[in-house]
Amino acid sequence: MIKEKEWWPRLRTRLLFTGPTLFAFLTVMIVPFIYGIYLTFTNWDGIATTHTLVGFENYGKVFQDEVFWKSFGLTLKYVLFTVILVNAVAFLLAFGLTRGLKGQNIFRAGFFIPNLVGGIVLGLIWQFIFSNVLVFIGEKAGIPLFSTSWLADPQKAFWALIIVTIWQYAGYMMVIYIAGLMSVPNDILEAASIDGANGWKKLRTMTLPLMVPSFIVCIFLTLQRGFMVYDVNLSLTKGGPFKSTEMVSMHVYEKAFLSRDYGLGQAEALVLFLLVAVITLLQVYFGKKMEVEA
Amino acid sequence: MKRLNGLSMTAMVVLLALIVSACSGNGGSSSTNNGGATNSANGANTSGKAIKITLLNSKGEIQVQLEEAAKTFHEDNPDITLEIMAAPAGTSPFERASTLYASGNPPTMMMLDTGDVEKFKDRILDLSEEKWNADAVENATNLTTFDGKNYGFPLAIEGYGFIYNKAVLDEAVGGSFDPATIKTRDDLENLFKQIEATGKKALIISPMDWSLGAHFQPLAYAGQNKDMAEVNKFMDSLKAGTEDLSGNTVLNGLLDTFDMMKQYNIDKKSPLAGVYERGPEVLGKGEVGIWFQGNWAWPQIHDFDTANGAYGFLPVPISNNPDDYGNQEISSAVSKRIIIDKEKSTPEQQEAAKKFLNWIVYEENGQDFLVNQASIIPAFKNITIPAADPLGQSIQDYIARGKSQESMSTLPADHWAKVGASMQKYLNDSGDRATLIKEIEEYWTSVK
Repeated sequence: MIKEKEWWPRLRTRLLFTGPTLFAFLTVMIVPFIYGIYLTFTNWDGIATTHTLVGFENYGKVFQDEVFWKSFGLTLKYVLFTVILVNAVAFLLAFGLTRGLKGQNIFRAGFFIPNLVGGIVLGLIWQFIFSNVLVFIGEKAGIPLFSTSWLADPQKAFWALIIVTIWQYAGYMMVIYIAGLMSVPNDILEAASIDGANGWKKLRTMTLPLMVPSFIVCIFLTLQRGFMVYDVNLSLTKGGPFKSTEMVSMHVYEKAFLSRDYGLGQAEALVLFLLVAVITLLQVYFGKKMEVEA
Repeated sequence: MKRLNGLSMTAMVVLLALIVSACSGNGGSSSTNNGGATNSANGANTSGKAIKITLLNSKGEIQVQLEEAAKTFHEDNPDITLEIMAAPAGTSPFERASTLYASGNPPTMMMLDTGDVEKFKDRILDLSEEKWNADAVENATNLTTFDGKNYGFPLAIEGYGFIYNKAVLDEAVGGSFDPATIKTRDDLENLFKQIEATGKKALIISPMDWSLGAHFQPLAYAGQNKDMAEVNKFMDSLKAGTEDLSGNTVLNGLLDTFDMMKQYNIDKKSPLAGVYERGPEVLGKGEVGIWFQGNWAWPQIHDFDTANGAYGFLPVPISNNPDDYGNQEISSAVSKRIIIDKEKSTPEQQEAAKKFLNWIVYEENGQDFLVNQASIIPAFKNITIPAADPLGQSIQDYIARGKSQESMSTLPADHWAKVGASMQKYLNDSGDRATLIKEIEEYWTSVK
């Protein structure tokens, strides 16, 4: 342990180790963040060399921007479905792949791979599947559900987004759940078996409570990624058909860079940040309360 | 743990200092032009050789041709290296250019849409002194001239309308098809029926928002009056919210034509499923006779061509009176402008960029690239090479006969996306005409 009495040598040593990271964090996170907040009080259009201060006008406009709240509502709906479905699918996969199945490592790797493909590429692949492959199959086999492209229908395009998201993240969450399942001590499970508990009872009363930390992590990750979704949205549906699947991140981006209202876009981004921060913090806070010791 | 000795401490601090200065050196200096290439090329700028310039290309369909041209240009001017950056398809060049400016490394040259130039005018070079201004076609630089200074290089004339496959239409009309016979909506519908009688589909409507929102729907603005000043007045009253679009004959006429087109669309069953790439394929293969698109589509149509290169344009009729403005005119305008950055580019780079623009207009290789390789209709009178492709020839022919309508090229930047989405809704029958008109009116009153 370092036991320095004077403040300078102490600070020096600390800076030596945390300095580079701190510097990077300050320059790429904190400074842009603060500058961004400053820009919300201006009417900058994203390119002009001058801008004027407009006070809180942009924030007033955020609350008047119906499209922003509509796409925020859509994002909430998307997050709700993806969080539930991704975690359900991931847990089932993890549960199935810790039973000692033959070749389960290959399956684990297989389910994990989609997560290694970038969102843009993934969106393009699925765009091809939804608008070409499935339509072709649907037409040949006479399945009406697939005979027209899902991406051309607002409702189906929304579900196409959810399906792709599940496919993308289920494998990743599965890995976390596998780790959680493996860390449940065998001795207490054995003791439960001796006491006559069946498989379902063991899962519900022993395994699940002990896996709360895994659930907290996974739900946090899926929540946060769901709110921030942009790449899959962009490459799979481009917000279409007719803006019906435009998630809130995409709306903010378009406000700033396409409609050239940088100040308002930035203000919307900040409002979004606060909303997401509150939701995820609440989730972690209540999740922690559910944790138990073995 | 022991305290670090003086030497290793110093070494760490120096290392940190190096990292810091390497980062800040980029943003602060005014000679860097390209974040991806802050290499020796920049350092060598001042010595007068090996100048490196970049061009942001927003015409995705000529990316390959531009890269070839960059090589040829380098051969003609060994001391200048030109690099072509591509703006991703589907984003507006403005988005790309402004993000590049925001990150402090704009390219030397940027290819923008006409309406975008004004926003950049404080950051780009005044090109009024360039020789090519005198050789440009009439009114080519009007829209990029502010306070008497022209900031944009007019790269291309582009026109759009119904592209027809002559082989299909010949079969349909039972003889050689004459585009002059289509003067009204009924003529067009009759033609569609004739095509369907041969067992083919009449037309394909490509549902991209940019096609519907930037090209098709604006025909209603441009068709308001032959006089551009009147059109501008109309746009002003739209913005002010004093224009009642639901009673506008031109817009309603155009939408009547659109309704008729929807009936004959090959993708009628799922009108929004199509992608751009499907258009040239079905037209070129002769599965449909007509596609609403512009002359920039030639390279893609060419790949599927089964009609021996016999294609041409038909105007989009808005009524049944052959003399109504727009029924015989093809919409066309100077569309892409190249601008030169003056903020981050060195004087040498600016000179090199000017040289490249002159190379396009005056050198044989440059003209060859523009007309023959890239299939562009030049906006310069001194270039006498005839258009290389049938679509360009068709547009040139309409312009030469005075049958052209000035396209709307200074619409607000998000018009195509917003109105395009409303048009998609209408195309899909998810919204009726009243909804569409209301959305267009709302767009205009809310636009910044």
